[in-house]
Amino acid sequence: MSVVLGISALYHDAAAALVVDGEIVAAIQEERLSRIKNDPSLPFRAASACLHRAGLEARDIDTVVYYENPYAKLERVLLSLMRAFPRTWRQFPRALGSQLGSKLWVIDQLAEGLGVERKRVEFVSHHESHAASTFLCSPFEDAAVLVVDAVGEHASTSIYRGKGAALTGLQSVDYPHSLGLFYAAITAFLGFRVNEGEYKVMGLAAYGTPRYRDEFAKLLLAKDDGSYKLDLTYFAHHIGVENGFSRKLESLLGPRRPSHRPWNLGTDEDQHYANVAATLQLVTEEAMLGLARQAHTLVGSANLCLAGGVALNCVANARILAESQFDRIFVQPAAGDAGGALGAALLGAQRLGEGRPKALSTAALGVELDLSRALNVATEMGLRVRRVDSPADAVTAKLAAKRIVGIASGPSEWGPRALGQRSILALPQERDVRERLNRVIKEREVFRPFAPAVSAERSSEFFLGVDGDMSPFMTTVCSVREAHMESLHAVTHVDQSARVQAVTAQGAPLLHEILAGVARHNDMPIVLNTSLNGRGEPIAASATDVLSFFARHPIDALLIGDLMIERGS
Amino acid sequence: MVDMLEAARLTPSVERAALYLRHAADESRHAKLFLARSAEIRREQGHAPLASPTADTEGLFAALGEEFFLAFVHLGEAVALGQFRIYIDYFEAKGQSANHALLAGISTDECRHEEYTRSLLVALSGSEDAAKKAISRARRWRAWRAWRRIGRNLSGGLHGLLMVSLYIICAPLALLIRLVTPPKGGWRQLK
Repeated sequence: MSVVLGISALYHDAAAALVVDGEIVAAIQEERLSRIKNDPSLPFRAASACLHRAGLEARDIDTVVYYENPYAKLERVLLSLMRAFPRTWRQFPRALGSQLGSKLWVIDQLAEGLGVERKRVEFVSHHESHAASTFLCSPFEDAAVLVVDAVGEHASTSIYRGKGAALTGLQSVDYPHSLGLFYAAITAFLGFRVNEGEYKVMGLAAYGTPRYRDEFAKLLLAKDDGSYKLDLTYFAHHIGVENGFSRKLESLLGPRRPSHRPWNLGTDEDQHYANVAATLQLVTEEAMLGLARQAHTLVGSANLCLAGGVALNCVANARILAESQFDRIFVQPAAGDAGGALGAALLGAQRLGEGRPKALSTAALGVELDLSRALNVATEMGLRVRRVDSPADAVTAKLAAKRIVGIASGPSEWGPRALGQRSILALPQERDVRERLNRVIKEREVFRPFAPAVSAERSSEFFLGVDGDMSPFMTTVCSVREAHMESLHAVTHVDQSARVQAVTAQGAPLLHEILAGVARHNDMPIVLNTSLNGRGEPIAASATDVLSFFARHPIDALLIGDLMIERGS
Repeated sequence: MVDMLEAARLTPSVERAALYLRHAADESRHAKLFLARSAEIRREQGHAPLASPTADTEGLFAALGEEFFLAFVHLGEAVALGQFRIYIDYFEAKGQSANHALLAGISTDECRHEEYTRSLLVALSGSEDAAKKAISRARRWRAWRAWRRIGRNLSGGLHGLLMVSLYIICAPLALLIRLVTPPKGGWRQLK
């Protein structure tokens, strides 16, 4: 038996993934257990939870694989700080403190924290981890692999050839030129938090018009071969400034938007920022298309695997599928840095002689529910809790009665999307649902769309171009068919798109059953599906997190396993 | 709040888990009330509201064990309650009814938190005396943490000075790096 633990940490979204005998057994982000959103700290809780799921202990681990090369990373940090001398004098002490204080010793810290021998802890490169995390989990025998993120050791974009179980690196664009950091800088300019606000920018973009093409052409210079270059005078990531943009960018696009000012898209001022978001999104999509075309030219495969934080841009993914030469695209659900843990574990397993795992068919790789504890704690809290014979029927009945219902079923999801294991559901036909969810429960900006979950078998009746590889993990968007736009108002974005989850019985069994029940009620196997978390919180994972969510947010009912909890005394 | 959630997840007792979850819900409500009031005040002054504070945790339950954790939380609640009472009197004297009502409402919860953590601590430690000892230990630990914080700030300053000196010494290296490895856009071949 081979047991490999993959680890990603110390930038954002730390995670652990466990591969046993070459198969993926568990994958968990540290934030789900520490309850700190995007927690970057070494994921000892997640590692322990992964081992617990497999019934293993630390002494059973053959290899621990860290997702990047800490020494190459230190080299890059030092080089870029020195290159920008003397403008980096403020950042130098902090960056060096962080690198020499902890990041450089990560291998030793992992060995000590996990209780394994130092010689059993290895590392692979950042982009190789990303590439492995998507290609090795994909259903493709061969594929071009495109990794686009902020930065790894040196590369910020890279192209690999995937064939069988082998990955071959072909080309890279190196830091400080980075599509991820370009998107991040404008995200910060728009007043959102980097590494968290990018989804909001994507949602906001649909409310704007891409009016600033000329201005953006100065920021990102795309070449015919798909590569690109940033005009660094507009940016500040390379000199270590946190928001990533310079004053020159404000001279070009106007003053930055103050963070946390409530949005009002009826004002000219906020419409300007929506236009900036729209231009950013368009330019990013075109850059991604250029990269995809180059990947196709180099590899020649009909399949593309995407990874890295930019691969979570589902609007760009949809355009790549529609407009590039690729027939199929796969994006692993945790495409960002967390996914590096999975890739590292799979590469570690290969080093031990294991082959590729089965293609990923579900994101339910996380924390299991302790139902007996849930029942006891809920009872002790004085909640109205009862066991139900058919959880799906119980939820369907609540939805049909226009209720908003939380569900927790099986292991929690891997990646940033709630895919039916820790979700809040409602019927999308209800006009006031979106408003209530946005304002009272999720407390988020009104321009952010909600996503529909639809039974995979009937998805094409309601949506155009549902993709069988990406839609199960909600990593692309489709158009809502015109005939259903009115009835699906709550899950249709302003540009008539929807970030559809095509639900299969294998991927999310309870949600699939609920959709069948909903179809019996109104002949539309569709629900609004949003994540079971409040503003600024990670998605709930354990039974106590789920109960805590119910105690703090006014949803109408909650299903945990076969326990139905309702409001009222 | 995050520490209370962790406590609810890790405690072996279902009863205590329920109490910790209620406590976490109270803290979450308090944070929202403070944020809403802060937004009102900032709006009156023509400013945008502040961001929700990011949750943080020190993993206290796992690090301290349940008994010491309870002593620490109890002490924290008692200190907070004392400070709240000062503010309540102050706002009452100033006639700031909204601020007074906010703190008076929250202090009722804080009072309950102080009491229940004390009762749990006595039950868990086995006697009133043992609970007192745990609270004294928690008080000493708080002082030690404060001292460490000062130490961290001092060493941070020293580290900054040393690093800036090192940075200046590295100036020739910076010139060399610029000459030898200028940042390049475009593709680099990996094979």
